[in-house]
Amino acid sequence: MKKLIPLVIILVAILGLAYYIAPKLPQQTDVRPLGEFYLQNSYFGDYSARSPEVVTSILWDYRGVDTLFETAVFFLAIIGSLTLFRLNKRQEKAAKQKTEEFTGGLTIVVKSVTKIIVVMILAVSASIALHGHLTPGGGFQGGSALAVAPLLIIAAYSKYTLEENGLDKTRALILRSIGLLGIALVALVPLLSGGFIMQNQPVFPAEIDSQLIGGSLIYYNFFEFLAVGAGFTAVFLLLAIPESIFKRFLRGDVDE
Amino acid sequence: MSEVLFYLGAIMIIIGGICDLFGAIGLLRFPNFYVRLHAATVGTIGGAVVPLFGVGFLALGSNFLPHKYAIAGASFVTGIIVLLAAPAGAHALAYAAHKAKLVQWNPKCDHLTEVKKHD
Repeated sequence: MKKLIPLVIILVAILGLAYYIAPKLPQQTDVRPLGEFYLQNSYFGDYSARSPEVVTSILWDYRGVDTLFETAVFFLAIIGSLTLFRLNKRQEKAAKQKTEEFTGGLTIVVKSVTKIIVVMILAVSASIALHGHLTPGGGFQGGSALAVAPLLIIAAYSKYTLEENGLDKTRALILRSIGLLGIALVALVPLLSGGFIMQNQPVFPAEIDSQLIGGSLIYYNFFEFLAVGAGFTAVFLLLAIPESIFKRFLRGDVDE
Repeated sequence: MSEVLFYLGAIMIIIGGICDLFGAIGLLRFPNFYVRLHAATVGTIGGAVVPLFGVGFLALGSNFLPHKYAIAGASFVTGIIVLLAAPAGAHALAYAAHKAKLVQWNPKCDHLTEVKKHD
């Protein structure tokens, strides 16, 4: 009962404040000039991506360099964590061998469900990324969803299963580099045909075979998807190395 | 046909709300971890999957929504993913708690330990 009185007071205060403030807020009836400019130049105009997802086209067209540097910040974070857990060649080989205490992952129920769900997550994440110019979402969100798939496999099976099937840290880093290189190349392509850096239209076609692809947006989204997904996967693989192996590295048993 | 789908969806969303309420009450009032896990799963299956399917039916049955097939498809896919993932997650939690012997309880029968004895 003692907790109820402050709760009621807070609720009454919030409701009273809302009731007092709400009529005094100015009503927005028409589009502001800045919003009109963005709509004209990113959705309707000849030099626009014609993408119904105007936020994405603004993000990669008008604020392109900003988004590029945001991506760079993410890569610095990934590189930082890779440096923290850096291993030499022999240690990497030792980390790939199964430890004695490894018992084979979780139960069969979890394993079978993981098999189905990983495929569904891959499909959903690809749809988020490749529809980025049509629906809310985009490369970064799709890549983050993609990274859940290897994380689930690590949790249900083990990191050894992932590595035995060909997705080890080096491959993930190569994929991540391909993604980053793709973004840089797509940003530089307009310079070749007399445009500005990261310019979208009219360098890239807005439609191919009457399918709306939003100019350069789909390329940016795809490469960002690849880069973010693979970058997260590399860090998860490093984090999944058992503590006992790291302790062995610290004692120097492997290096000798 | 579309009206039937609309009302079916609305009823499923209401069922979801009721299941969420029961799940929350159970999570607070049930005696130990395993029974509480049951209440939590009522909250996820009844309170997330059923209303998600309901939203899908409601979107299919309404003729005022602009992208109703996209909304319905996304709801059904999300519902199926949760429907698969929630029982597996609850199973993993219960298995881990049983294996670590973290929960004090007095079961009438414990099949998992009986099976393990025969191994």
